[in-house]
Amino acid sequence: MRIFLAILFSFTSFLGLGQSISAPDSKSFTVNTTGQDASGFSLSGFNSGDILLCAVGLPTAPAGTTFYFTTATGLTPASGYTMTGNKNRIAFTGTMANINNALASLKINTPATVGSIQISISATVNPTGFFYNPTNGHFYRPIATGATYTNARAAALNTTFKGQGGYLVTITSADEDAFIFNNVPQSNIWFALTDEVEEARWTIDAGPEKGTLIKINNGQTNGNIPGQYNNWAGGEPNNSGNEDYAVTKWGGGSQWNDLPNNFSCAYVIEYGTWTNPDNSTFTDFYTNSTIHNNGPALSVRFNISTNNIVNSNLTGIMHYQPAGSTTWTPSTNTERTMTLLGGMNVTSDIDTSRVSTNTYLSTIAPVGVEWSYINAFNGVLTLYIDMRQVTVNANLISNVSILDVYSGPVTFLSNDGTWAMYRIPEPCPKLTDGTSQYNSYIRNAGYDNYAFSCSVTLTQNMEYKKQALFLNYNSSLSALYNSVVTVSDVYTAFRQLATQGGLTGTSNGTAFTSPIQYIAADVDANGIFNEKDCFELLQHITGVRSLKADELSDIIRILGRSTYDGTAGTNWNTVPQRSFHQIALTSGVLTYTNNISVFWKGDVNMSHSPAQSTSGMINMSVNPGMITKTMSLGSSSSDVKATIISELVKDELIFTVQLDPAGQNVVGVQFMIHYDNSMISYKGAEFIASGSPTNFAVNRGDYVSLGSLITDGNSTLDNSTKYVLKFATRAKMTNTLGLISVQPIDAVTKSGTQIKINIF
Amino acid sequence: MKKALIIIVAIMFFSGCTKHEIEPSPVEPTVKDIFSVSQSNVTNAQVFNFILKSPGVYTLTLIDSSTNQVVSREKFYGVEGLNTMNIYTKTIQSKHLHLVLLDANNSQIGKTTITIK
Repeated sequence: MRIFLAILFSFTSFLGLGQSISAPDSKSFTVNTTGQDASGFSLSGFNSGDILLCAVGLPTAPAGTTFYFTTATGLTPASGYTMTGNKNRIAFTGTMANINNALASLKINTPATVGSIQISISATVNPTGFFYNPTNGHFYRPIATGATYTNARAAALNTTFKGQGGYLVTITSADEDAFIFNNVPQSNIWFALTDEVEEARWTIDAGPEKGTLIKINNGQTNGNIPGQYNNWAGGEPNNSGNEDYAVTKWGGGSQWNDLPNNFSCAYVIEYGTWTNPDNSTFTDFYTNSTIHNNGPALSVRFNISTNNIVNSNLTGIMHYQPAGSTTWTPSTNTERTMTLLGGMNVTSDIDTSRVSTNTYLSTIAPVGVEWSYINAFNGVLTLYIDMRQVTVNANLISNVSILDVYSGPVTFLSNDGTWAMYRIPEPCPKLTDGTSQYNSYIRNAGYDNYAFSCSVTLTQNMEYKKQALFLNYNSSLSALYNSVVTVSDVYTAFRQLATQGGLTGTSNGTAFTSPIQYIAADVDANGIFNEKDCFELLQHITGVRSLKADELSDIIRILGRSTYDGTAGTNWNTVPQRSFHQIALTSGVLTYTNNISVFWKGDVNMSHSPAQSTSGMINMSVNPGMITKTMSLGSSSSDVKATIISELVKDELIFTVQLDPAGQNVVGVQFMIHYDNSMISYKGAEFIASGSPTNFAVNRGDYVSLGSLITDGNSTLDNSTKYVLKFATRAKMTNTLGLISVQPIDAVTKSGTQIKINIF
Repeated sequence: MKKALIIIVAIMFFSGCTKHEIEPSPVEPTVKDIFSVSQSNVTNAQVFNFILKSPGVYTLTLIDSSTNQVVSREKFYGVEGLNTMNIYTKTIQSKHLHLVLLDANNSQIGKTTITIK
């Protein structure tokens, strides 16, 4: 066994399993502050005696962000670096223990600019003679032995490093140029740039950028292609003596020169790119990073007012609309749970990228011909833009920026083929008062016209993606809805209908005490609460025709809390009935607290919905009726009673519920009769009751919704009320217990009060 | 090696042919009289025993111990001596219950606590 373990250990060591870099959680730094703790990174799993190459960088950070170590014992800086002082990148070597000591002392200096600061740590067993650039994830191997350009180019292609093929180094940025300058001690270093194919057409000759043309003329800046990095020494390239190949660090300086192939120069081989920890093509290399915040961090939270009976099963998941789409798509697969007080943090689920809109900003900048003017007749400002400068449909311009005169939205008026016209919605005093710093570009052309000597550029407007919180219910939706919409809701709806003196929903009734009840009761969502809604509710609980409840979105309603609280009896039918809550991100705003209220279609008595508040405070608990029903342990004189018993008779299990109103004017009762559908099947029910209640026994698969409701306003249920349910056994059985159980759901009196059912 | 292969194939064969359970298998009781102990754990389709002194009509009632609400009750004909009963727990919403045995006169002749596992 010991031999086996030793072999296994050797094998895993050989594979290099177990090495990793742990990273700290993201946090917020204070802006414009030096010496803030940035520790939390740690290497593990490397052999303690190995010398490791470690690189620390800031791939993303506001300008001016630097870091330093207070401890660097035993570490050797890579070429071009020192261990002391403020840095935005460093590479060094040392043992794992020494590196971890340094990482534990990492400090950050932040600038005033708010933004993200990504600290990246990379480590690998030190390959002698290789330099890692954490900014671009590339490795560089200087070759001191001189070679011709073409030999250097060929030799580079024949090398590999940690799973990557090499190529003669390309220099595509000042940062990369500086990295080579600092790390390679030799001068006159070949890099992959040549005009051997056509004189003066300098083209990158290797690597991922191979074929990219960066310059089309000789001379230091002649023919430099905008956007491409060039760094030629004065007068170079000059092709003096047929020079077709480029070197950097020319003469020990920091710039480039062209040389003929037969020069023997040092060169650098480049390997990359390794910035993704999951990049398995780059072997034996480990990295990790944390993105911190400089200044306040984005925070998106919800405070959800709901009912504590249901919120333990409610989770939230953020959705967004992809560019050009109106379809909601999950932002992540992470369902966020709600705290006991209804809090939900979705910050990490927010997509902060922005997408182009179909509208444009027109920027009217000084210098140019008079492409634009404003007419200010009678103080009404009309902006005119020459149609030759409007390269999109004129009505797509929604914002303008005019010198320092005006910046903001405009309204498109018309386009006569020569001028596009827009209304500026507010006064622009700088247009006429002479205080504009661009006054010399504004000409009073008479007749209230002010012309601008300007250029006109169009920029497509960007906006944050539309995002919204959707809720999930992670339990039986059918069972939930069976307890949400009960006889009390139906009775309350009928009472409201009877007392409001009509069927139009416009007059005030007495049963509804909260305007939100109208929305809950308007189950057909047509903006009118009437007899149709009442009968749909009745049909639902009696099983004649159920309200659509296939998805949570069918039954849940979400409103911003201020809208919820502000809904009145006169405007409830204008409130949008949505099953999600959309949020709007705004540039420069980092904190979003969304107070929302969750209620339910058909929850007419608000037993599962938060109370509507006029003071802005929301009662987080269930309503008083529900508290009485669910929290009280003992019975009281206001309770209704029921007894149950089941008996196995041949192949049938007969279950009986006997009601005792106990002196209450009970007009509705409802039970949930659970049955084990793997052992028995529901056959039907018999009702024994005086008067003419609407009795119901609705089979929902593994339970029966059972009860009675009287809506005539006169009669009540009495103690002759009895329900007999029959179930067929699926196999022969004797002496069973628990195949059927009962759960009291609701009871309501003639006055509309919910009361508790005690089962004896 | 040949033997090992035969064993592996045999294991795969038998495991592949295991019948899916449609009904729960009865779980045998651990005590002779459930009312002789103060508390028992039960699982779905658990069989439990109890002793009756005389034959007749009895009821067994399950009461939610936190709300004191009756959740299930079964009427049955008991025999003198050892009786067995199958308890099914899938429909029971509570985990902690009292189990009460009454005779035809509604006199309590046994009470214990059960926990559904």
